Amino acid sequence: MSSPTWNDDELLRELRAALQESPVDEGVIRAAQAAFTWRTVDDDLELLSLDAGFGLTADALVRGGGAGGPRTLAFHGERLSVEIEIDEAGIVGQLTPPRPGQVTLVTADGPQATTQADDIGCFIFPPPTAGPLRLDCRLGDGHFITDWVTV
Amino acid sequence: MAEVSEVSRLVLAAASGDGAAWNELVRRFSPLVMAVTRSYRLPAADAQDVSQTVWLRLVEHLANLREPEALPGWLARTTQHECSRQVQRAQRVLPVDPQTDGAMQHPAIADLDADILRAELRQALRDGLHELPARDQRLLQLRAGDPPTSYHEISQLTGMRIGSIGPTLRRSLDRLRETSSVRAYLASAPISDGVTGGDRLELADVE
Repeated sequence: MSSPTWNDDELLRELRAALQESPVDEGVIRAAQAAFTWRTVDDDLELLSLDAGFGLTADALVRGGGAGGPRTLAFHGERLSVEIEIDEAGIVGQLTPPRPGQVTLVTADGPQATTQADDIGCFIFPPPTAGPLRLDCRLGDGHFITDWVTV
Repeated sequence: MAEVSEVSRLVLAAASGDGAAWNELVRRFSPLVMAVTRSYRLPAADAQDVSQTVWLRLVEHLANLREPEALPGWLARTTQHECSRQVQRAQRVLPVDPQTDGAMQHPAIADLDADILRAELRQALRDGLHELPARDQRLLQLRAGDPPTSYHEISQLTGMRIGSIGPTLRRSLDRLRETSSVRAYLASAPISDGVTGGDRLELADVE
């Protein structure tokens, strides 16, 4: 493997740019490093992955309406899906298939609020603070946790 | 059998609970994550939220990364998605401002891909430098300063004869080219579908 276009001057110039790139804020780095404390080693915990495309489609934008309209997010696992809508009134969520259980809103600072999903799997939370959040769902048939998302 | 790359080693170690390896991954790849957020022109607080979300999510996905080498691409794509989400939120919540709205609605995809490649290249060069013997690092850092340290000063600082600095510098640059970090950058696959034709950015194109 060769890189014939890399003469010494170009390489040195890029190295200069690389070394001068403004460093990432130490606070950002420390916060990211602290994320490791959230590492779960619980094999019984099932991760619900963010549906990356969900809520990002033009269709969802239209359904979401204008300023202040709800944003929708969906998380999927093998045995459970969670869909939530977030607006300034708070979070409205639904477990699918529907079932009752305990749902906890978690931020990078820890658990913020716990609520009960009703018999048809619906739950609500007050508006969350800005920043990453996830939902921890303790249901009759298992313990589930969603991916982190920014709100 | 190819040597296990440094990134692979760090990913595997962090996945099995090594906090120091995690810290090193964060330090190496935070510039990439932040470079992508800059492409979306997010306010600083939003960019920091995105960064935090991306790293929190990686904690859960470390063990599932089938190809540890694909980490930069995973980070870039995840950051892109979270940035898009932030942009959407801003569009809904903020009153319409044609100037910023235009910028947010149409983040230049070509620029974004170039940003990712540039961040990867620069990280590869910093990592490559780190792989070199201390003597090479010192010399390259002096010559890569702005302005570059003169041969005369380098001679005084290092005790090298002025006549030997040029040839030594060339050998140091050759060794930098051959480091696993720089070689991995050159060999790596395109990190997203948006990078056409699998072409890696060449050094001359990046400036």
